[in-house]
Amino acid sequence: MRLNLTVNGRAMTADDVWEGESLLYVLRERLGLPGSKNACEQGECGSCTVYLDRVPVCACLVAAGQAQDREVGTVEGLADGEELSTVQRAFIDEGAVQCGFCTPGLLVAADDLIERVPEPSDAEIREALAGNLCRCTGYEKIMAAVRTAAERSGGTSGSGSSAGGDRT
Amino acid sequence: MSDTHAPAHRPQDLDDAIAGGVGESPLRPDGTLKVRGDFAYSSDLWAENMLWGATLRSPHPSARIRSVDIGPALRSPGVHAVLTAEDVPGRNLYGLKDIDQPVLAEDVVRYRGEAVALVAADHPETARRALDLIEVDYEVLEPVVDAELAAHDDSLPKVHPGGNTVRYQPIVKGDPEVTADVVVSGTYTVGMQDQAFLGPESGLAIPAEDGGVDLYLATQDLHTDRKQTAAALDLDPELVRMTMSGVGGAFGGREDLSMQVHVCMLALRTGRPVKIVYDREESFFGHVHRHPAKMYYEHGATRDGDLVFVRAQLYFDGGAYASKTPVVVGNGTTLGVGPYDVANVSIQGWGMYTNNPPCGAMRGLGAVQPAFAYESQMDRLAEALDMDPVELRIRNAISRGDTTPTGQVLDYPAPVAELLRRVRELPLPEAPAAGAEPDIRDLPGGASNTTHGEGVVRGVGYGVCIKNICYAEGADDFSTARVRLQNVAGEPLAMVHTAAAEVGQGLVTVQQQIARSELEVERVNIHPNDTSVGPAGSSSASRQTYVTGGAVQAACRAVRERLLAITAERFGEPAAELSLSGGKIVSRESGVLADIAEVLGSEAIEETREYHHRETFPLDERGRSERAQVQHAFSAHRAVVDVDTELGLIKVVQLDCSQDVGKAVNPESVVGQIQGGSAQGLGLAVMEEIQVGEGKIRNPSFTDYLIPTILDMPPMNVDVIERGDPNAPYGVRGVGEPPTISSTPAIVAAIRAATGRDLTHVPVGPEHIIG
Amino acid sequence: MKPFDYQRATDADSAISLVSGDPEARYIGGGTNLVDHMKLGIAEPGKLVDITRLPYDSVESLPDGRVRIGATVRNSDLAAEPVIRQRYPVLAQALLSGASGQLRNLATTGGNLLQRTRCSYFQDVTTPCNKREPGSGCSALEGWNRHHAVLGASERCVATHPSDMAVALAALDADVLVEGPDGQRTVPVTELHRLPGDEPERDTVLRHGELVTAVELPSLPFASRSRYRKVRDRASFAFALVSVAAAVELVEGTITDVRIALGGLAHKPWRATEAERVLRGAPATEETFRAAADAELAAARTLRDNEFKVPMTRNTLASVLRELTRQEGS
Repeated sequence: MRLNLTVNGRAMTADDVWEGESLLYVLRERLGLPGSKNACEQGECGSCTVYLDRVPVCACLVAAGQAQDREVGTVEGLADGEELSTVQRAFIDEGAVQCGFCTPGLLVAADDLIERVPEPSDAEIREALAGNLCRCTGYEKIMAAVRTAAERSGGTSGSGSSAGGDRT
Repeated sequence: MSDTHAPAHRPQDLDDAIAGGVGESPLRPDGTLKVRGDFAYSSDLWAENMLWGATLRSPHPSARIRSVDIGPALRSPGVHAVLTAEDVPGRNLYGLKDIDQPVLAEDVVRYRGEAVALVAADHPETARRALDLIEVDYEVLEPVVDAELAAHDDSLPKVHPGGNTVRYQPIVKGDPEVTADVVVSGTYTVGMQDQAFLGPESGLAIPAEDGGVDLYLATQDLHTDRKQTAAALDLDPELVRMTMSGVGGAFGGREDLSMQVHVCMLALRTGRPVKIVYDREESFFGHVHRHPAKMYYEHGATRDGDLVFVRAQLYFDGGAYASKTPVVVGNGTTLGVGPYDVANVSIQGWGMYTNNPPCGAMRGLGAVQPAFAYESQMDRLAEALDMDPVELRIRNAISRGDTTPTGQVLDYPAPVAELLRRVRELPLPEAPAAGAEPDIRDLPGGASNTTHGEGVVRGVGYGVCIKNICYAEGADDFSTARVRLQNVAGEPLAMVHTAAAEVGQGLVTVQQQIARSELEVERVNIHPNDTSVGPAGSSSASRQTYVTGGAVQAACRAVRERLLAITAERFGEPAAELSLSGGKIVSRESGVLADIAEVLGSEAIEETREYHHRETFPLDERGRSERAQVQHAFSAHRAVVDVDTELGLIKVVQLDCSQDVGKAVNPESVVGQIQGGSAQGLGLAVMEEIQVGEGKIRNPSFTDYLIPTILDMPPMNVDVIERGDPNAPYGVRGVGEPPTISSTPAIVAAIRAATGRDLTHVPVGPEHIIG
Repeated sequence: MKPFDYQRATDADSAISLVSGDPEARYIGGGTNLVDHMKLGIAEPGKLVDITRLPYDSVESLPDGRVRIGATVRNSDLAAEPVIRQRYPVLAQALLSGASGQLRNLATTGGNLLQRTRCSYFQDVTTPCNKREPGSGCSALEGWNRHHAVLGASERCVATHPSDMAVALAALDADVLVEGPDGQRTVPVTELHRLPGDEPERDTVLRHGELVTAVELPSLPFASRSRYRKVRDRASFAFALVSVAAAVELVEGTITDVRIALGGLAHKPWRATEAERVLRGAPATEETFRAAADAELAAARTLRDNEFKVPMTRNTLASVLRELTRQEGS
């Protein structure tokens, strides 16, 4: 089937998509966007977290057809050109990235959190990121990164990213 | 940098010292790519005309293969190759220590998940469907599933023709029959843990015109992979070129081969690029796990609390193939008394073949299991002696100059007592104010509204451990570094080239730091890891900063020597009077002579060096060795837990660690290693266990095999001390493994303190508390 | 995964005719359970009919005090709905304790009700399982059965229902609105799911082609004081070992009305009618709570690995009742 969708603000089309492919597979293998990761492909780890119509979901459990005409935001859309988003910058600065495989999903989840809750408490950060497994860091530096990102965003406009589209 | 021979006159135009050298915490060079989603992990690779590989695996833990019919699969549209054992071009066996594992099963399968056949097709789904069309006729056999039984019951079937023992090792020191005033004993078991790295096993093989193959993959050790792969492919190793792609974590799980030979076979057969990517379930079948263990311990002490003897029998279930079982037995037995000075020791260790999933390397290899047992024993002994458990440990702590059970004298700092004292002094969490309504999110069960504080008891526990660094017992696991210094657009640029796997730990940063410090240049690039440079050995055994760090240091120093020699000649100054600083060459007499770039001109200086750690020696039949191990590392944890005794739920409230790292080359990365390692130890303590029944894994998913989430991991106080090892480059001591080892017993000790339960198995579950 | 046909339904009638006319067709909502099962080879539909764009995505307060929840309302939206948070906190809490944020953003009300067991043998197509392959046997009976049922199981199947939301709905006496080829009908949630008996392959009483369109909550004023508690192996993102959904009406220290359902214990959300009987009209004392739990658990039959579920349930239930009655009284 032919799949039309908007990814990171751009209209995209994938042809010859097999019905059983997931949105994750389409992004990674058909649209050249491998940033969203394939750690479990069963909705258990959060590494494929993307925005779907502006809410974070596991792309691995979205059947390709269900993404028809919808708006997708991935890690590749977080930065504004060369300019990293606040959350991306904070993850680097705080050492929250080791192997980095969980990072894309965590960034989308953290971006969404700061958008919804500009000044999250530690408990809120933990709740919001509980669907994203990380095996390297022990999460401490991820906590620090999200705190830093929230602080730098000044509790106003989230991380300033555009991946979620024109959320207001 | 201290310099006791300050120049007579300080050059006016000397730049500030180069930032980001050894001892600082510069940011990772791959961080930007990783946060942008642009870092190419092995599963992200793509090639024109690429096919997808898939693997058929045995559904039985033990069976004879009567026949395999690939006809229907081969005729399936979109399928380009179906391969079986008959198609393995070379030696159909591989292994890290014992070469005992078939690339594809021939006449028998020895575990559920063993690879039997391969498919290449134009879509991953086509390949998977073709697997269903391969007909394998199995004669199902009774599996061997109990390692302890396998060690002593000769009537059990033999998993391999040579018998079921992979390695038996006794360690005897002093008088093994000695008696003591106070004796405590216990039997302890450790469940099978999974590395649970997030990046699945994956690789892209591209057939080359010279008959060879280029493999882009995620691994811990390129050269060992290549050696095994070339033998199986019957190719000259030079024709099997391996390049490291992004690695999504490893923790030991990428030491053994997984898809390497398979994907190359498919590429060579089809003449097209082939990619294999495991899904999570296949990953659980496709890599080795931590050895489950059963351990019998007996500790004897004087009434004053001096250890008199330790006696133990350790059984490690190696599963169907040897993998690193020999090393697990070596580490488990030699480190089996823990970081304590004990005069009389008798430890026997067995590593066994069974038809369970193969077990091999995982962070803390062979030291994790006995640490849970010996630390549990130390708490038991403290109770029997009515002593403070930390005091008992300090009283018996091993220190510099002491002799290990194998007879090795510790000729470097061993600050075990200091670590225990320090971790005890770290700030404790505030107890909830009396009468105040606690935030339920801070209580066991968290936001699932499980408790409101009734029935919740707090406990504190300690654990300390010892781990050997680098390979042992005679292994020469050296590393190689090639360093090239050149002038690029008027700036000196160092290029560091090694085969050492960056698996997330930050080795790329460390290599840059070393080159900056040694060559006093700002810009250091890391060449992609591949097999066009000499071996680095595995990113395991907490060894890479030690050996590859040592190799980079040596190569940089060789480059520096040549640079200074050229300068000496050009400026007529003795080379011994020259040094590098801030991108410039400085003479003690005349100050700045020239920019490094200027001296280099259009010439590049390149040097390659190997670093060999000091020699070790095998154990004899009584477990003696002048030096069995290169170096030892120590860490101590304190855990604070809240336990809901009504529901059996555990919340680790705080987990603190003191660790000696010799020299913190990158202090922030050291902290990251300690936090991450501690989280894996927490997982083993309270949730992680691969459930195996009749040889089959029952929970091969991240929904059923639970690893800690961000809600499970508490804040940590991390206390790093640097008691340099004079034998090691910069005095470094391996960092990665110890925190995984001592965190587990500390947490269980805290749960015991809260509940009064015995708790002889990890992970501890609710059923152990309310059952 | 077997090849299949994917169609997006634009209205309920066409959806129902697409599915009811084809024995291999299935509805797909959020997909969090079905897509996973298709990957694992547990479900092999020939046709998927996507119902997520049907107009069932709202929560309405009805004039008679009931609340109607559309079948495609996402779990996270439902949990955030003010009327649910205020009048039925047990439901909001149950929803938020399920899965992860990413999955709750996908999962629908109807799909959550119909999710299938997480029995590890059901998940593993290489092992016998009567639910997956009728007549092949139950591997869990003698196997690893830590997560399995202690109430209402049969020799054919000891699986548990995995939903948190459905446990809250069972406690609330919710109704499920169903549309099928033969018209509409209403099924109480407590009767939607079956005990395994001789047909463990049938999770619910729904017939092929029937489509869940909504769930209706009764007015039940005392549900504003209700609780969901979930006991699990880690702090989040794990299935329940045991869960309790309860609402209590207390008048001067006496329990005048009560609703309790238990999760993680049976093939269906387990309405604790025995416990309710003991509690109704009884004083809110520790003794009563224990007696109620004992009455409900008298029929419990444990397996090799799940004995702990009985004391765990007893303690969880007593704890929830203690909290609800204490709060009411203070």
